[in-house]
Amino acid sequence: MSDAFVKLSGLTLGYGRTVAVPALDLSIREGELIALLGPSGCGKTTTMRAIAGLLDPSDGTIEIDGRDVTRVPANKRGIGLVFQSYALFPHLSAHENVAFGLRLQKLPAEEIRARTEEGLATVGLTGFGKRKPAEMSGGQQQRVALARSLVMRPKVLLLDEPLSNLDARLRLEMRTELQRVQKETGITMVFVTHDQAEALALADRIVLMREGRIEQLGTPADLYARPETAFAAEFMGFENIFRTEGAAVVSDKGRLPLAAVPQSPILAWRPDAVTVGEGPHEGRVAAASFAGAHREYVIDSALGPVKADAAIELPEVPLGGTIRFDLPLATARGLAA
Amino acid sequence: MRHLATWAILGLTLTFLIGPFLIIILAGASDTEYLAFPPQGLTLGWYFKVFTVESFRASFVLSMALAVFGTLAALLLGVPAAYALNRYDLPGAETLRTVVAAPIIVPGIIVGLALLRYMVVPTGVTVTAALFMAHTALVLPYAVRVVSSSMNNLRADMEEAAVLLGCTRLQAFLKVVLPNIRGGVLAAFILGFVTSFNQVPVSLFLSGPGVRTLPIDMLAYMEITFDPSVAALSALLAFMSLAIVFAAERLLGFSRYV
Amino acid sequence: MFRNTREGLALALPAAIFSTLLFLVPVGILLSEAFRGSAGGWSVQGYIDFFSEPLNRTVFLRTLKLGLLVAGTAAVIGYAAAFCIVNLGPKTRGKVFGMVVLPLMISPVARTYAWIVILGRTGIVNEAITGLGLSDTPLRLLFTETAVFLGLLQLFLPLMIISLVSAMENIPRDVIPAARVLGASWIEVFFKVILPLTKEGLVIGGTLVFTGALTAYITPAILGGSKVLMLETLLYQRVNVSNDFVSASVIAMILIVMSFSANLLLKRIATARS
Repeated sequence: MSDAFVKLSGLTLGYGRTVAVPALDLSIREGELIALLGPSGCGKTTTMRAIAGLLDPSDGTIEIDGRDVTRVPANKRGIGLVFQSYALFPHLSAHENVAFGLRLQKLPAEEIRARTEEGLATVGLTGFGKRKPAEMSGGQQQRVALARSLVMRPKVLLLDEPLSNLDARLRLEMRTELQRVQKETGITMVFVTHDQAEALALADRIVLMREGRIEQLGTPADLYARPETAFAAEFMGFENIFRTEGAAVVSDKGRLPLAAVPQSPILAWRPDAVTVGEGPHEGRVAAASFAGAHREYVIDSALGPVKADAAIELPEVPLGGTIRFDLPLATARGLAA
Repeated sequence: MRHLATWAILGLTLTFLIGPFLIIILAGASDTEYLAFPPQGLTLGWYFKVFTVESFRASFVLSMALAVFGTLAALLLGVPAAYALNRYDLPGAETLRTVVAAPIIVPGIIVGLALLRYMVVPTGVTVTAALFMAHTALVLPYAVRVVSSSMNNLRADMEEAAVLLGCTRLQAFLKVVLPNIRGGVLAAFILGFVTSFNQVPVSLFLSGPGVRTLPIDMLAYMEITFDPSVAALSALLAFMSLAIVFAAERLLGFSRYV
Repeated sequence: MFRNTREGLALALPAAIFSTLLFLVPVGILLSEAFRGSAGGWSVQGYIDFFSEPLNRTVFLRTLKLGLLVAGTAAVIGYAAAFCIVNLGPKTRGKVFGMVVLPLMISPVARTYAWIVILGRTGIVNEAITGLGLSDTPLRLLFTETAVFLGLLQLFLPLMIISLVSAMENIPRDVIPAARVLGASWIEVFFKVILPLTKEGLVIGGTLVFTGALTAYITPAILGGSKVLMLETLLYQRVNVSNDFVSASVIAMILIVMSFSANLLLKRIATARS
């Protein structure tokens, strides 16, 4: 297995003032499921389109399986892409959609039929071949789009926001489906998403992007537990992020003392890392909501709002009521400036 | 009460719009030598006579040829233009759009005269060729507009998908775009055909010995004779247009595109 | 994939060049003709000469008058008809709308010719008049402004109705009942609700009808003849009878300017009200 099955070196996308991605370096391993994660405008989709060959880089190279494909046109690159809109051909049936690329390769009719059937079976759509896209649900359409790319046996399969157009139930189903297909085919997959939960659940590694650069790259466990920057921490659900000054955390609103002088210039706590019901600090409950296993509070404190999850066993504090809390150093994640 | 008023208004309006057309059908069947309504007696004689008038036959063929080939030429120019204006972010796209749509804005009679005076006369282009080009230009705006609107609903990523599956750009257009805008192209063809076939002002000055479009020929005929044959011919032409439009509506829901 | 500007231009330019060479350039030369003085150089003498002739002034004013009259009448009938159409059930509505659109597909020569049958010496109206003994001799109804007016109205009314129907379809469903409930009379409903919400359709329809009436040739030629000349028929006469291309150029300019200013003016009115 190659460590750099897909290799982007100094990849620059866009020109002049509108550079979307400046000099990106990224290596993707063979058989890996990688997520390009970030808010809209971070360059993740642009990067994906460049890998597919739909966008010419202004500088840098793209290598796939040891071959420089930077100047290879999209139709000769052998890369699959499942579009966010699925981009099925509305005038063709599911079967014809899946067979489309195989027919272009002028393969024997029998092989085309067999591979198309197999492709539809892989995504669980045996028997749906005759349907037109308009006669299928969104989830089924996406499976056709997936099969259409898979039957081409691409070296890399790209997926643009694969779960964003599906409702919650289908989303879970498709997530397992994608993982299963990936394990079965061993194909290298790169998918683009703005949803960190999706990336965490699905990916082997996550590339967190910000303004065209890689903010952090790592396994889901890495990113979840050890974000390195405030941006990454915020994206990973650290809702309380404060600067430190001596033995205190500060915000525009004010400051709160800490137990000791921390080593990091920025500290971050998830809501469940904030101690509620006891502690040296006091605040008023600005908002409270019941979330099953815990209660979510927004505490108006000297620092401004602090988000905290309280165990359900603790007595409920009404809106406007006074609540004690602590920002323990032990549960804080230290971040670089 | 509301109902009565509604139908009174619609009845009057529709009578005004369609009544005259019904009158011609009957007037063309009058057995008098002159135009009369209501006809004293009925005959289909005039309906048959129009097929024997030599000049009508010649001008019908010319009008048909202009409408078919002029519209085809307009589509050949217009479909790529509509495609480019839809897909690409072109500099001066607004200007391009205006230029292509210009023939619809300028009165036809002016166009005909201008072409006669500054193209036919100085360059020696034949009147038929000038007519052909004028009709092409006339239909071009419709071709661009109708095809554009049917391409609007077609997402660009479908073509990208086709390319990633191995199509060249041209193949992607032929295999993915064209089948999906077929209805629009056909609608543009029919609209163009009808517009060109019925067109008078553009062709007014562009006529020469033996070269006359059918509507112009009818105008000329009307000035000499006053028999019901022009009424009969008008009715026949109207039926032809209606048949085409009905067939189109049945086949592809034509009215969606107009 | 669609960023290659050169590719896009290669596809769009043939149509644009064709349109420029066959349309803009010849028409441009024609328009410039009236500005070329007899001694060379530029002049507006052509325009002065044109407007100093009483016949030309009459024809110009008549064309303007008929255009406005046809557009105005079409707007009144159009609102009534469009309001009825949008309130029909979906099935009948499609049929009635189809019947409004159909005439547009029929040759204008055929449609105009019908008026000869109706208004001619032996036509339906005269037969009725003499039959009822209202007059001994047939009236001259053809070659009058009324005949031209009727012909033009019949020709272009569908355009107004279509524009207004599509404008009215976009009026939010419950707005009119809401206005009624709030105490507006039907006249107030029309002027305060329907008219402001459909003015764009009125602008489009009005421009189409007015411009259509200005630039129609067949109708004034058949129904007006040389007795009721309009600008288009006058242009034809000037060229064919007297070879007067300067007048033709002036008329062409007037027609274009009138069409454009009608459009601009209506747009201005539409935006000023809101």
